[in-house]
Amino acid sequence: MLTFLRRRIVSSALPLLVVVIGVFALARLTGNPTSLYLPLNATAEMRQNFTDKYGFDDPILVQMANYFGGVLRLDFGESLRTGEPAAAMALRAFPATLQLAGTTMLLAVLLAVIVGSWAALKPNGIADRISSFVSMAAASVPDFWLAIMGIWVFAITLGWVPTSGVGGATSWILPIATLLLRPFGVLVQIVRGAMVSSLSEPYIKLARSKGATEFRVVTRHALRNAAAPALTVAGDLTVGLVNGAVVVESIFGWPGIGKLMIDSILQRDFAVLQAAVLLTAISIFILNILIDLGYAGLDARVRPSGKPKKSPRSAVVAGGPTERNVNVQTTP
Amino acid sequence: MMSSTPTTTGKVRVAIAVATGSALLLSGCSVANTGSANGNAADTVRIVLPIEPTTLEPCDSTLSSTGVVVRSNITEPLIERNPTTGALEPLLATEWEATSDTEWTFTLREGVTFQDGTPFNADAAAFAIDRAVNSSLGCDVEGQMFGDPDLTLEVIDDTTLKVTTEMPDPVLPLRLSFVEIGAPTDADARVREPIGTGPYAIDEWEAGIKLTLAVNENYWGEAPAYKAAEYQWRSEGTVRAAMVTQGEADLALSLSAEDGAGDLGLNYPNNETVALRFSGDIAPLNDIRVRRAINFAIDKTGITDSLYTGASVPADQLVPPGVVGYNPDLKPWEFDLAAAQALVAEAKADGVPVDEKITIVARADQFPKIAQMTEVLQEQLGQAGLNIEVKIAETSVGLQYQVRPFVLNEGAIAMIVQHGNQAGDASFSTESYMTSDAQMSMFGTAEFDSLLAEASALVGDERQEAFANALAYEREEVVQFAYIARMTGVIAKSATVDFEPNSLSGDELRLAEITPAS
Repeated sequence: MLTFLRRRIVSSALPLLVVVIGVFALARLTGNPTSLYLPLNATAEMRQNFTDKYGFDDPILVQMANYFGGVLRLDFGESLRTGEPAAAMALRAFPATLQLAGTTMLLAVLLAVIVGSWAALKPNGIADRISSFVSMAAASVPDFWLAIMGIWVFAITLGWVPTSGVGGATSWILPIATLLLRPFGVLVQIVRGAMVSSLSEPYIKLARSKGATEFRVVTRHALRNAAAPALTVAGDLTVGLVNGAVVVESIFGWPGIGKLMIDSILQRDFAVLQAAVLLTAISIFILNILIDLGYAGLDARVRPSGKPKKSPRSAVVAGGPTERNVNVQTTP
Repeated sequence: MMSSTPTTTGKVRVAIAVATGSALLLSGCSVANTGSANGNAADTVRIVLPIEPTTLEPCDSTLSSTGVVVRSNITEPLIERNPTTGALEPLLATEWEATSDTEWTFTLREGVTFQDGTPFNADAAAFAIDRAVNSSLGCDVEGQMFGDPDLTLEVIDDTTLKVTTEMPDPVLPLRLSFVEIGAPTDADARVREPIGTGPYAIDEWEAGIKLTLAVNENYWGEAPAYKAAEYQWRSEGTVRAAMVTQGEADLALSLSAEDGAGDLGLNYPNNETVALRFSGDIAPLNDIRVRRAINFAIDKTGITDSLYTGASVPADQLVPPGVVGYNPDLKPWEFDLAAAQALVAEAKADGVPVDEKITIVARADQFPKIAQMTEVLQEQLGQAGLNIEVKIAETSVGLQYQVRPFVLNEGAIAMIVQHGNQAGDASFSTESYMTSDAQMSMFGTAEFDSLLAEASALVGDERQEAFANALAYEREEVVQFAYIARMTGVIAKSATVDFEPNSLSGDELRLAEITPAS
């Protein structure tokens, strides 16, 4: 296990570095942000003082060297907008996004398992039709429209929930419902497909012939083998939520890192942008490790060992469920 | 056939998964790094803004996002401008007089303390003004109101302050009305949460969530009606309006007519003027006939009626009514497409390259329906015979066209600008947009510069007349702009409060003027 973790940390360090350097360089290609931070009729002297203070006139390599020198001292710079340490702003905003994304994915997985399993049991039945409709809707409906419609219907017209904000449990409903649609739509199809495959395996027939209830057949036999690909996709969707909740955060006033990043981009607040990207990248790296460990928990064949090999998930995802699934059946 | 029985390890894994999931779900009762739920106390006025202030630093309170919270709420200036009459009224200073061309003496109010108990006196006032205007902080108020010249401050006694300018400045008191007086603090660093003399003090600022002010029990003046104020922010106008209609907020700022405030929406004149600013030294805009033609070609009434449902009106000059220097005799250019076409044809016949591209540049989301306005202008100017392209840029790119050093390698530029003169004197508009060397002026003339300089040195009625004549001269002989619309703002106000918005409300929302509905 430690060897596995060490290998993953080492292999992730380079992509992390590339991301940080890339964001650093791309941000500075947008030019000197002085005009955004000084009054419109600021004097030339004021502009030069501001530029000198933050080194915007320095060659980009000098700026990069100064930045990484700070990073080594755990100094990620300060916000041009607020003057606060950039790392503090990112760390303050990130948990809110993590909560939102985590809760959304948990609900999405639970609902997808229930509806996907039901759809697999009765193809072309009502659950199957619901899952198909939701999947199509998820692919077509933009978050922004969904959020505004949700506010209009459930907050304004019906008055069931608040319009926005973070006060109380009811304020979670609309943001989660808005974010839930797309991952649920994707996952329900994954679960449905994997369950259809699992339910057609010979060991399922054996379990039924031994008198196992349908519930037991689904939950103790088929679902376990169908869970692995769903877990892989859920992990990728969670990453997408962490990055892509910016619209929901903006509309509902959610104090998350997505809004912080978009504001930092628009305001050319380089230090905060870099800190937010770095934090998000590290969290995605940790999330991928957790997914790998979870996958290994589901399937003993892919548990990490000291031998170098491909990512456990990629080997099985490429091949899909196989006849080796007989190894994980349980007695009725 | 291999089989396995449920193991203790498996049960443990399930238990861990259930516990983790439950913790995540239960944590949903509160968001990380947030405090209490939204307050709804009857003695708290709830205001929703479009963006969170980046700072509450008093010397940056000329920034709308900062000033709307700070000005006259947390901090106060020496003098306050009445937004309705334009008159300067005493606040932390009770009297002021010009003791020479370059010297003003201010008598300060006695018995005033800052919210931390520090006494307000001439030393504190001098420190705050020096820090805002003379220091290397690069305060927004310095750039907006004072520019390069420094002030010399001399404390005569606890209640007497002498301020000396480098050049004669008849409007120094007006400029100082924008300097918010905070308690003495670090002169070399900005303060995020200031201490002032105002009727409210900062109670708590939950970054990203809300900002709460509590009444200053030791305020020197009349106590405000509300004991507390709570600010939140939502970037989407429809959500801000919905918060008021649903009773989640009492006031919502920076709305448009389409945001759904309905009967709770109030229109008010916000002193903003929208105009096309010409690069008058680049062909074909370097020909005055082409600039006049553009003025004739724009159907201003059509624009204000169709895009703004009549809430805005056609503009006739850069400064709005009520501002010193406003010329009441000027009328909007008539919409006369035939006259526009004739002028373009005349210029073309004289060899002016009217077929050269003119780019209308606009800053995205600068004001409601700016994109639609840009399209309308392109169509209308095209009908006059001009070759028009459009560029809508995000703010940081747009500013490269708006402020020196300008983008100069893209041909003639007609930039949509929105200028608000909240200062109350035409000099703040002319020094920004009209003199040849102004930061946002692309061209001028020596004669016009001379007229403006002469006007700036005058006071009273002479000043008013001189500026009014200068603006008329610009209109006829220089044509730096095509004035389009005098804008209005929209505020949503719930039925539970009484408040009358004015031209300052978007930049300075005075909590003391908000009272529970009678």
